[in-house]
Amino acid sequence: MTAIWKRELRSFYYSPIAYVFMGVVLFLFGVYDWNVVMTGSSYYIGQVYGVMFTWCMLFLPALTMKMFSEERKNKTDQALLTAPVSVTAIVWGKFLAAFSVYLFTMLITLIPAFIIGLFSSPTWVHIFGNLLASLLYGAAILAIGVFISSLTESQIVALVGTVGVSILLMLIDSFGSFFDNEVFSTIVSWISFQARYTPFTNGIFNISSVVFFLSVVAVFNFLTARRLESRRWS
Amino acid sequence: MIEVKNLTKRYGSNVALDHVSFSVEEGTILGFLGPNGAGKSTTMNIITGYLSASEGEVTVAGHSILDEPAEVKKLIGYLPEIPPLYMDMTVKEYLDFMYELKKVKLPKEKHIKEICNLVKINEVYKRLIGNLSKGYKQRVGIAQALLGNPPVLILDEPTVGLDPKQIIEIRNLIKNLGRNHTVVLSSHILPEVQAVCERILVINKGVIVADGTPDKLSHDLSSDHRLIARIEGSEHEVLQNLRSVKNVLELQSFGEKEPGVCEYSIEGAPGKDLRRDLFACCTRYGMPLLALRSSDLSLEDVFLRLTSDTYVPRSLQRPAVIPSEANQTKEGGEQA
Repeated sequence: MTAIWKRELRSFYYSPIAYVFMGVVLFLFGVYDWNVVMTGSSYYIGQVYGVMFTWCMLFLPALTMKMFSEERKNKTDQALLTAPVSVTAIVWGKFLAAFSVYLFTMLITLIPAFIIGLFSSPTWVHIFGNLLASLLYGAAILAIGVFISSLTESQIVALVGTVGVSILLMLIDSFGSFFDNEVFSTIVSWISFQARYTPFTNGIFNISSVVFFLSVVAVFNFLTARRLESRRWS
Repeated sequence: MIEVKNLTKRYGSNVALDHVSFSVEEGTILGFLGPNGAGKSTTMNIITGYLSASEGEVTVAGHSILDEPAEVKKLIGYLPEIPPLYMDMTVKEYLDFMYELKKVKLPKEKHIKEICNLVKINEVYKRLIGNLSKGYKQRVGIAQALLGNPPVLILDEPTVGLDPKQIIEIRNLIKNLGRNHTVVLSSHILPEVQAVCERILVINKGVIVADGTPDKLSHDLSSDHRLIARIEGSEHEVLQNLRSVKNVLELQSFGEKEPGVCEYSIEGAPGKDLRRDLFACCTRYGMPLLALRSSDLSLEDVFLRLTSDTYVPRSLQRPAVIPSEANQTKEGGEQA
């Protein structure tokens, strides 16, 4: 697993993908931070994470789009699948590489918060709550993205598909209120990512939501592994 | 070392492999021969665990690929048809990665260095794989298969894309590897298989149509048991004497090849070995026999014959019609 994690991470930083992702995300963070601190004369930068969350969920699929689609296209998956490693280890190695890039980016966003912390006392619970929520939600999106990339040989299809799913997950709560149907709204509340994300941003730590997001990651990584296995039979 | 039993692979209604069975002894070089799309790569992909068979089983050194995939994969070095290379890595990074991926326990730097010397990729060691020529990419692919010194090597068309000098080098390399590895290689190039392999499996449309050493294959398939002999003496006398040999069906002279020496083609009844009788005849009449060879089919002919649409595998053939009977019926027909 570490071999694959290292290779994927290296490939992120050899290709422009990681730089473009980090550059754009951090630039937007900078803009919103500037807005709050300089234009708004406020130290309440926890809310920036809330705005940035939407952007992040749209950019994250770029990290996973080539994960398995490219391997399949270049036939490099033959080396992976005929090596003495389990398919599960391959999937987790790739997932963790994408998550590492995301985690690294999010940790950098703490720098302005700490600088502000030197001169005033921001509400740390909001900042860390938001950060944790974004990381958990992002991890789920990455796992879904890795799964979608295992379904297709085309990176574009994987990208658009994952962005689509990501948008759908953000909108699904509003669908619940469209229909006055109890069954429908119950189902929506089960799969709603948003409902589990929001309490964190208010500084409320909920262990069941952590378990929910980690379960989503585990389920989709499991599905990806099964998908790779099933290809051998087709 | 490798046991393949009743391997069948279906893609939808298309049967890529149809109950293929064979086994490979330890330390042999087996050549997989067949036209494009015959099922060579599919077989190799199943042995290495990349694909699963629809039916049948594969065991390598007693381990089943289905039950103990990790064990089997540790024993096999695989070079697929398209070498699985990451274009954004240098040769060094790639080999380091594969070394870790395969969980090799040998001393890392020394082992990788040895392999690079073996396949001669030292001069491109620090270059990006994407910038290498086809020949070098192929060698990096072979290097990758050799990592960890696996006892079984499976090489799918290992010399594709190499120049003639490199081809000879790689063939020699494979021959040397064959001394302490079990090697299965596929090819549709006959001379290659002939030069390297101790045993050949010919596969066509998912069915094994022949199995044996290169010599045995060309011998088995030559239906006309013809001998070519050079005998000193006057052509007329020699022909007359040769007619006395038992079982000779046809005699023909190719004329004088050396001063006072003519070449003759002697065809015997199928399944009859003429050589002893011929020798006895020559000594009886005091005709010096200067050369004798059988005019077996070349492997090229064998291959074409085996993979043609009309060829029926030996196991499915009806017993051959005995020529004398056939002649009698023919004559009978004429009389009637």
